[in-house]
Amino acid sequence: MYISGIGIVFTRGRGIDSFEKALKEGWIEPSRTGSIPAYRVGQETLTDASLTKKMRRADRFSRMAVLSAVDACRDSGINVNERAELGIVLATAFGPHATTFSFIDDILDYGDTNVSPTKFSNSVHNAAASYVSAILENRGPTVTITQFKFAFQNALILAGSWIAEGRCDHVLCGCADELGTVMEYACKMKLNIAKEGKINPFAFSDTPVSVPGEGSVFIMLSKEKGLNNYGKATETSFPRNITGNPDLFVIDADGMSANETGYRDIIDYGSLIAGYSPVFGSMLTGSAFNFAAAALMLKNQIAYNCVFQDNPFGAKLCDETSAKNLNEIYCIKICRPEIKTIIKLQK
Amino acid sequence: MKAVISGIGIISAAGFNLEQNLEALKNGKRNGGPVSAFSTILPYPVFEVNSLPEKCAEEGMRTRSLAFTALNEALDDAGLQAPLSGFRTGVCIGTTVASQLNDISFYTAFRKSGNADLKPVNLFLKGNLAESVACSLNASGPSVTVVNACSSGTDAIGIALSWLKTGLCDIAIAGGADEINRVPLCGFGSLGILSNSLCAPFDKNRSGLNLGEGAGILIIEREDFYIKRCGKPSLYLSGYGSFADAYHLTAPRPDGTGLESAIRKALSDAGVLQADICFVNAHGTGTLDNDKVEGSVLSRVFGNKIKFLSTKGYTGHTLGGAGGIEAVYTAAALKEGWIPSNAGFECKDDNIPITPVTENTDIKGSFALSTSLAFGGNNSAIVIERA
Amino acid sequence: MESKEKNLAEIRKLLKELLVENLSLEDIRPEDIKDDEVLFGDGLGLDSLDAVEIVVLLQRNFGLEVKDMKQGREIFYSVDTLARYIYVNKKTT
Repeated sequence: MYISGIGIVFTRGRGIDSFEKALKEGWIEPSRTGSIPAYRVGQETLTDASLTKKMRRADRFSRMAVLSAVDACRDSGINVNERAELGIVLATAFGPHATTFSFIDDILDYGDTNVSPTKFSNSVHNAAASYVSAILENRGPTVTITQFKFAFQNALILAGSWIAEGRCDHVLCGCADELGTVMEYACKMKLNIAKEGKINPFAFSDTPVSVPGEGSVFIMLSKEKGLNNYGKATETSFPRNITGNPDLFVIDADGMSANETGYRDIIDYGSLIAGYSPVFGSMLTGSAFNFAAAALMLKNQIAYNCVFQDNPFGAKLCDETSAKNLNEIYCIKICRPEIKTIIKLQK
Repeated sequence: MKAVISGIGIISAAGFNLEQNLEALKNGKRNGGPVSAFSTILPYPVFEVNSLPEKCAEEGMRTRSLAFTALNEALDDAGLQAPLSGFRTGVCIGTTVASQLNDISFYTAFRKSGNADLKPVNLFLKGNLAESVACSLNASGPSVTVVNACSSGTDAIGIALSWLKTGLCDIAIAGGADEINRVPLCGFGSLGILSNSLCAPFDKNRSGLNLGEGAGILIIEREDFYIKRCGKPSLYLSGYGSFADAYHLTAPRPDGTGLESAIRKALSDAGVLQADICFVNAHGTGTLDNDKVEGSVLSRVFGNKIKFLSTKGYTGHTLGGAGGIEAVYTAAALKEGWIPSNAGFECKDDNIPITPVTENTDIKGSFALSTSLAFGGNNSAIVIERA
Repeated sequence: MESKEKNLAEIRKLLKELLVENLSLEDIRPEDIKDDEVLFGDGLGLDSLDAVEIVVLLQRNFGLEVKDMKQGREIFYSVDTLARYIYVNKKTT
């Protein structure tokens, strides 16, 4: 399937142009407003005068999803509301958890009979996709899924099935996750937070460090090549071993799994290696952001510089932003050496 | 490619296996009553599962325990045993509660001191339904927990069908599971759609829904794969349709066009006509809006003689579990040749052109439809076929 | 009589502020809402979810329970009808 549009909301703003700029700029200091350093999405990013009325009730989680979905549509140039053949798949690890806790605040503060129905409605995982379909006026199938390990990969597989069986001509396939205060606490307790704010994706460590992030990415996937085209997503699978020789590996190492030593294996393939978690932060759904980076590189035929502190295993890293002949990119996520996924992208 | 339903399993307030469930439905037994799982001042009756089989009961993971109970029955029924690592197996299960980190005592402690025991968080991270089922079965295919609110179970089954059709797996475990939990009880209460008495789907005097809990799981296989494994199939999953209302966060589109499109798509996906459908297992929650919209859509699509019912009078609304549970009932009814009476119905509503079945009714025919309408405007339907 | 009108005016002012805040009416200022403007449908454009949110608002701020939504339809017609309902029924504090 063809990648015909990308929308993104992340710590440095909104839109594929902001993302491209961030990839070129490289690392910046995370925000330190909460209990841990993190790549948070600013409130100013989440307002949009043209959508004020339609988003009036939407919480942060839904706003991130709506804005990235709307942008992916615009980027694709596809006129959505004229066709019902558009599907929507939203994947998330934690859903609108901040709203769930805000609703529990209501229960604790006002009692079981006196709680906000709007907060409850927003706390349901598929509220965000519901705002997206209502705002795009799209009547096609709309599904929200949740996974911890491979949320985005499974969303891509579903999008591929829908297109393959003719259920849809296009699928808006995306991820969203937010970083509320409870999640910050869980991250602080369960992860090795990089105190100096630097994720180190190529350390391939058994005690990797992370800087949590939040945001949303939507990819417009199309059966036919569209007006805008980033390239093709040809396969998403869970292989035992990785075979093939891409021009570039993009890896999801970001400190969210307990052990990143599994990535050491790909050094031997001799292909160039990249990974952009330091640009958007550590997230279980970070794969979607790296996928967006890979698609952008295919379209622009430019490899972006990776941010890293050290390279103890001498991996062949993409250490400068430069024009490159990129025909094939593999996006890799390895949770444990035996549990891995590969997304193959082609020019 | 056809998809065979090779095994079904269920647990609900009506019973902890299929036999008990069908017995309760046959006898019109309704096990609704006050909440016992937690204390609340809310007066709404619920449909709770009284006892979980011991081998499946895990503390703090009720939805998962319910799912595993139904899963084990379904695997037995299909003649399968874990691990399923020798096959390409996908797992697709719907839920609402199990997807949310919503432990009230954990949050109370966190709110007070900024510190809290992480045990509920750790259980939550272990408890993603599809991931944990896939892990326990050693399933190597796609795995997805569907969180489409009240249509999650039906959508999960539809997604499994897409996977099988496109050759992503040979076997799919699909369905839904949910538990009675204080957070959604308060939430549905605040929306003003819970009934103070046992629900009365499609009745003139209906006053809302009752929450319920349970799980319904289907084992679905590619026909060629199943025939090699077992021989002649008896049930098929033949079609799925899903359309969005694109209308409102909580209210269904009054003209019902989203549901109508979903039903028509499910029929065409199955390659059948309206006249081929011998009964409809409706969503029928017992709320004013749902039953009115659904009743008029069913009459529009199938005419005024269609046999239909809601089984929520026996199970309550099990949210993410509903699509799974109702698919199991639909499959069992086709196999057995009868449908139960629509519990709770007494008086015809002038705003709904059709009347549900009011007694245990024999059915003749090969195809049946099960529908789900959700929060957020999702409408989904599946077609099941008796071979 | 004068104090009743004054009281009603105060309730209306407070109500408008509460509506804007609790219903996240981002593009509307409290003073923009007219006393007799229809709240639902064509007027202010509120919907069924706003209606149940107003039920909570009445409970939290005025100690009032609206149990019968059919009765609610008349009470929820406008800021003015809401204010009158509150004036008559609110618990004295």
